[in-house]
Amino acid sequence: MIRNPHSISVYLLLYKQYHMNFKTLITAFAALLLITSCTTQAPKMYTWGDYSNATYNFIKSHSDADRDALIKTYENIIKKQKGTRKVVPPGIYADYGYLLIQIGQDQKGKEMLEKEVALYPESKVFIERIINNVH
Amino acid sequence: MKKLNLISIVLVVLFLSGCNTTKISRKAAYPEFYSNNLSTILVMPPINKTNKVEAKEFFFTTLNQPLCEKGYYVIPPYLSMEIFKSESAYDADIFIDRPVDKFSNFFNADLVLFTVIHKWEKSAIGGAITVEVEYIVKSAKTNAVAYTRRGTMTLDTSANTSGGGLAGALISMAVTAIKTAMTPHVKAARACNEFTFGDFPAGHYNPSFTNDSTLLSGKPVFKARVRLN
Repeated sequence: MIRNPHSISVYLLLYKQYHMNFKTLITAFAALLLITSCTTQAPKMYTWGDYSNATYNFIKSHSDADRDALIKTYENIIKKQKGTRKVVPPGIYADYGYLLIQIGQDQKGKEMLEKEVALYPESKVFIERIINNVH
Repeated sequence: MKKLNLISIVLVVLFLSGCNTTKISRKAAYPEFYSNNLSTILVMPPINKTNKVEAKEFFFTTLNQPLCEKGYYVIPPYLSMEIFKSESAYDADIFIDRPVDKFSNFFNADLVLFTVIHKWEKSAIGGAITVEVEYIVKSAKTNAVAYTRRGTMTLDTSANTSGGGLAGALISMAVTAIKTAMTPHVKAARACNEFTFGDFPAGHYNPSFTNDSTLLSGKPVFKARVRLN
């Protein structure tokens, strides 16, 4: 491999350089571990879109514009689920349905509430009570 | 070379000690979750002890998301909020020391979450928000506290700017001011909740359900600096 003194010095030089790079690499690796170790996150199970902002804006203002924006947000969440479970997150159908009932869209609202029960049977007890109260 | 060695050692020590200071498993810290099948959570309206009136809603609209991601069925928050309001129960502080069965039975919930916002302060310089929140989760069956943590979290809202010198600092301050004004505080509340619930035992919709018992729990009382994404 090493055929003359010149190449030995090159080899040594390379070794030193490599050695140095190895240390740098360890430092970088340790730093990377430090940065990532506490923030590693599991993949999301659901897609939420603008959920928290839209909900906050509406409950704060109760304006028609914010209500429409929230309805749009609910519809987007129902349409687009890229999370690992590929289903609508808990509560979305129910909150959407309840909001629709509040604005007089009883039929569609009930349908949404029923979808919540179908997807999450644990909601059956109280959602059926709400459905029964809608005239 | 020696300097690099030292840096490596310091970083490795930091890494080893950084996350594992409590050394208590989740099963030991929150046994209720591993002996009962607790799958449904009712979020009570947050108890706001600060002058920031909106803080209650910042939290109420951001508590369900991380708990759903943890694998729980969270009682629909808008629907439950409307019911709380109609029952004159929007101030949860009168219920925090009482049996929770009245609400848990109505909503068929296994767990009831109370939150107390103790502090909400925004620093004028730098734009950081410091929030102190207490989370108390009670078992509906036993009324025992199944999970509790109290955190003082500083949320770093500063914008990243590459400018240097005095001009750079001024630009940086201006950008931070704009960004903080535009960044809804909802985001800060969400970051607090996500950070705190990092050690919340996984619920039955989560693939880690029952497999996370040996993972470490967080400190019951903690201070943290959380960066907003």
